[in-house]
Amino acid sequence: MIISTNWLKKFTDIDVSIDELTKLIGSRLVEIEEVVDLGKKYEGVIIAKVVECAPLEGSDHLNVTKIDDGGVVQDVERDENGLVQVVCGAPNVRTGLTVAWLPPNSTVPETYGNEPFVLGARKLRGAMSNGMLASAKELDLFDDHTGILELDDDKQAGQKFADAYELNDYLLEIENKSLTHRPDTFGIVGFAREIAGIQGKKFETPNRLNLENVYWIEKDGDIETPSVTIEDAALSSRYQAVVLTNVDSSAKSPLETQTYLARIGVRPHSAVVDATNYLMMVTGQPLHAFDYDKLKAVNGGAIDIRVRAGRDGEKLALLDGREIELSMSDIVIANGETPVALAGAMGGRDTEIDDDTTTVLLESASFNLYNLRNTQMRHGIFSEAITRFTKGQPAPLTEPVLAEAVGLLAASAGAKRASDVADAYPGKTDLRKVYAKAEHMNAALGSAFSTHDIVTTLQNVGFEVEVSDTDVIAATPPYWRADVHISEDLDEEVGRLNGFDSIAPSLPVRDFTAISPDGFDRFRSSVRTVLARAGANEVLTYSFVHGDTIAKAGQDLGNAYRIVNSISPDLQYYRLSLTPSLLGLVRPNVKSGYDSFALFELNKTHSKAFGSGEDGLPEEHDALALTVTGVKDGAAYYKAKRLLEFLAESLGVTLAFRIPEGDSGDDSIAPFDGKRSAEVFDVASGARIGIVGEYKTGVQKAFKLNRDTAGFEIELRALMAVAETAPHRYAPLSKYPSSERDLCFQVAKDVRYADLEASVRAALPAGSVAAAVEPLDIYQPDSGDTKNVTFRITLTPAEKTLSGEDVAAVIDGVIQKVTAEHGALVV
Amino acid sequence: MTTPDEARAELLARIRTSDQPQTVLRSPELRELADNIKDLQPEERSGAGKALNELKQELLRAIDERQAELDEAGTAPIDVTAPWDVNSKRPDLLPTETGTRHPIATELERVVDIFTRMGFDAHESRQLDDDWNMFGALNFPEGHPARDGYDTFRTEEGFIPPAHTSTMQNRVLKAGKAKLEAGGQIASISYGRVFRNEDVDVTHEHTFYQVEGVFVSKDASLAQMLGVLQSLFETYFGQKLKIKTQPAYFPFVEPGLEFLIEKPAQLGGKGGDWLEVLGCGMIHPNVLLAADIDPTEYRGFAWGGMGDRMIMLKYGIEDIRHLESGKLAFLRKFA
Repeated sequence: MIISTNWLKKFTDIDVSIDELTKLIGSRLVEIEEVVDLGKKYEGVIIAKVVECAPLEGSDHLNVTKIDDGGVVQDVERDENGLVQVVCGAPNVRTGLTVAWLPPNSTVPETYGNEPFVLGARKLRGAMSNGMLASAKELDLFDDHTGILELDDDKQAGQKFADAYELNDYLLEIENKSLTHRPDTFGIVGFAREIAGIQGKKFETPNRLNLENVYWIEKDGDIETPSVTIEDAALSSRYQAVVLTNVDSSAKSPLETQTYLARIGVRPHSAVVDATNYLMMVTGQPLHAFDYDKLKAVNGGAIDIRVRAGRDGEKLALLDGREIELSMSDIVIANGETPVALAGAMGGRDTEIDDDTTTVLLESASFNLYNLRNTQMRHGIFSEAITRFTKGQPAPLTEPVLAEAVGLLAASAGAKRASDVADAYPGKTDLRKVYAKAEHMNAALGSAFSTHDIVTTLQNVGFEVEVSDTDVIAATPPYWRADVHISEDLDEEVGRLNGFDSIAPSLPVRDFTAISPDGFDRFRSSVRTVLARAGANEVLTYSFVHGDTIAKAGQDLGNAYRIVNSISPDLQYYRLSLTPSLLGLVRPNVKSGYDSFALFELNKTHSKAFGSGEDGLPEEHDALALTVTGVKDGAAYYKAKRLLEFLAESLGVTLAFRIPEGDSGDDSIAPFDGKRSAEVFDVASGARIGIVGEYKTGVQKAFKLNRDTAGFEIELRALMAVAETAPHRYAPLSKYPSSERDLCFQVAKDVRYADLEASVRAALPAGSVAAAVEPLDIYQPDSGDTKNVTFRITLTPAEKTLSGEDVAAVIDGVIQKVTAEHGALVV
Repeated sequence: MTTPDEARAELLARIRTSDQPQTVLRSPELRELADNIKDLQPEERSGAGKALNELKQELLRAIDERQAELDEAGTAPIDVTAPWDVNSKRPDLLPTETGTRHPIATELERVVDIFTRMGFDAHESRQLDDDWNMFGALNFPEGHPARDGYDTFRTEEGFIPPAHTSTMQNRVLKAGKAKLEAGGQIASISYGRVFRNEDVDVTHEHTFYQVEGVFVSKDASLAQMLGVLQSLFETYFGQKLKIKTQPAYFPFVEPGLEFLIEKPAQLGGKGGDWLEVLGCGMIHPNVLLAADIDPTEYRGFAWGGMGDRMIMLKYGIEDIRHLESGKLAFLRKFA
């Protein structure tokens, strides 16, 4: 929305600079996105009179003019009478015209700010032209190429164009989003009221907009009062209409009115259209004009206006040439049975006013904003009118604005009011009182307003205020403030108009209890740190993925929550696990020149398979996934396992790894190769915490991965649960030396390492000697069915130094157990 | 002339034994069947075309099955309990100097840490929620125009990926009610991912992060809100900061404000540049009522925002799309 400060000044004084005004508005009303200094655009434009005008010899359309600029422009070639020669190609140029002259060295306003075109003195067909006479388009007012702009004859030669038409103006571009609850500010009067309020001034609503002073011009005609029926009060709280005759549809509105409309982006048309637009901009109340004769024609010569819901299958041809299909949520204006307008949005083609229109039915109404909002979205109509209607214009406003429009049209288009005013008003409401007390308001805001401050502030912007003996403030919001209902709304009003920034910040008082950080937050922080220490890179990826990504990972698309209004197919489903998102990142990073890396993410996953919580909402899982690629030291599985064990160890957790049993249907397992992956368990509790492994060949192909890629996906809360209960591992340091022995067993190659190690451990003594087992080497010859596994056993006594015999006895025990249980040979 | 039915058994058998099942689609039999259709009478063509198409679909399914079988068979089992591969050695971790944490995670932890020290507890927000928590509990009536501003996504079931972290407010208020009534305060922040149906460009993302705060007590005031927020940002940036506000409209607060800070010197601020950092306000009585808290006894303030934009400012990140791109070139800048 664009607000002209000159327009505001017609309704309130502004006695601060534009910079201060901008700051005040920003801090007390609404964000201003941009301030445009309009005057600069018109800096060089001078009003001149055409004194002589004659066709240029040798040209079929150019004229040579001599203009009088009052002699104000310097450094320009003049004749003996002080007149300046300008060549003009406009068909309407003629002697006696008052024009806007762009002298040499001035910039064509239309080009200002983009690629400025600076005029000069140059010859056209041999005749010298000093600058040019400007059209409305060149003046950047509106698109009119039919000729130069004809100014009002009472303007003086030599006057600045900007001064004469009040174009020394600042335009404020307003961020309307934060005014959706303030329909009143969508009119200049309402905006000006706020400007008065934030300057601490009392605003006087223009008399003619006061409900008590509505002024109707004398009725002059005897057309029957239009019959108006609102079929459903929920659709429209008020509908007024009046008939005007003798309307001159070709009349133009005063040029000043046109320049005001043009500067805020509304194109001037005829006096009739301009008057309705002008009043909408001033008051926020849109109006609509029907061609009365055409309107009658659609209903066999009768006027029977009905405001009702659209009907399924009903069609309406709109002003913009479209034919739309109506729905039950649209509000239509019908004459008899025939829809003639889409209420609040756009008129119908069949009742449009045109150059031949002489009789007009003028509508002033208010409609249900929710219905209009729906209409706006469904039919894609974003006019100035519907923008205002969808904020909820107040019903009482329709009357003064309609009366004002009738008066304006009488003045600018010779119209006569030929009927009484029809008024269907089912939505009449009473004004209400809202109560406040200075002490409560100050407690809520931390402010120091007196009762008098509050009363004055509210009265400045049109509230009726009474104060009781006990200092209770009873404020009656004016009819245009449907947003004020409760005392907190008055807190807002008073705090805002006086400036929230004038309130001194303070701090709440709290007791000295320590707040414990969330355990899960702390846990995640250590996981991140450990994995980064292991050289992995944390990523964050979208929660939404393409359906193909889920399918490529071998997961069940049926489990994924689907977004019905997604931006693109790439973001259509909630992901079932994090692994597919990571796999999607491997190939692009490899292509960017990274050959060996690990990516990990901690985030939430969603699946219909997780079920719902007590609140009926889908359960969310917290997952951790990692994928590592470019593994060179053996099968990739072991690299992923190593990274996972590093993490677990740093959390004090010991893990066990088991081949997954069959197809569990678990989507987080689906991408992993059943023969080269393991389900992961906590040894102490037996709890399952996730999966680690290489990916299925199909998955590798689908994500264009190399075989040297593996990863894991962990249920983070399960890991936290076992980490929280993990025992402390510290044991006192021993005073006695440790003894190490290396043992190499040859076993069948299908003997699992974990079983072998378990046998070794089982044979080690418990009690005062601490025993540690470490793998040293796993060797498997290319041929043959055996492998050699070497362990290092370290024995650390707590009470006495171990003798050679003590150690030998332990080692013998180990050998016996392992050979007995696995048919092993000691190598 | 062969028919699709006659060819079916032969082609399926070939797929089941092939090492490259895809090649069966290029069999001469199929080409012949396709050619045959051209020679048929026009009225027979559609039936024959349909039969051929059905056959092709069946073959494609069989090819998928066979390919999966081949894929599975192609990998040799390994001893998943071993610490490393046979004839190999213990795999190294990756070089520590390449490891990084994500800047969003790091900065969120910092913000949470500051709030914790100020006395707020902290919880991550949900990523899938409902209309009640997104709008209903926050004083947005059904069909209210202010709902439009949030450009929410929806799932088939009508769930909503939260468009602001305020979805957590009703839960936080309900959870804190007992503490409040025992004479304490509610002081809580929620942080996490939010989603908006917005086109992505250098400064816009459909997925971003917010931090939401709620404070309720018997004597909470707007002045306290300003003080708490000023203190937060001064701690975060490690310097004194000027603040100001701008009126704003959010149905769940009254009054509602945008909160701005003067651009800190450490971010190259020279004074006079203002940054909109969050929306805030006094909690609307209807929002307290929705959590069964008596608004005549208690008042509160709330705020939400910050997130990605603060982090981008802090590090000078020029394109918001980098954050969720997973590009190592980006991630490794945060070592």
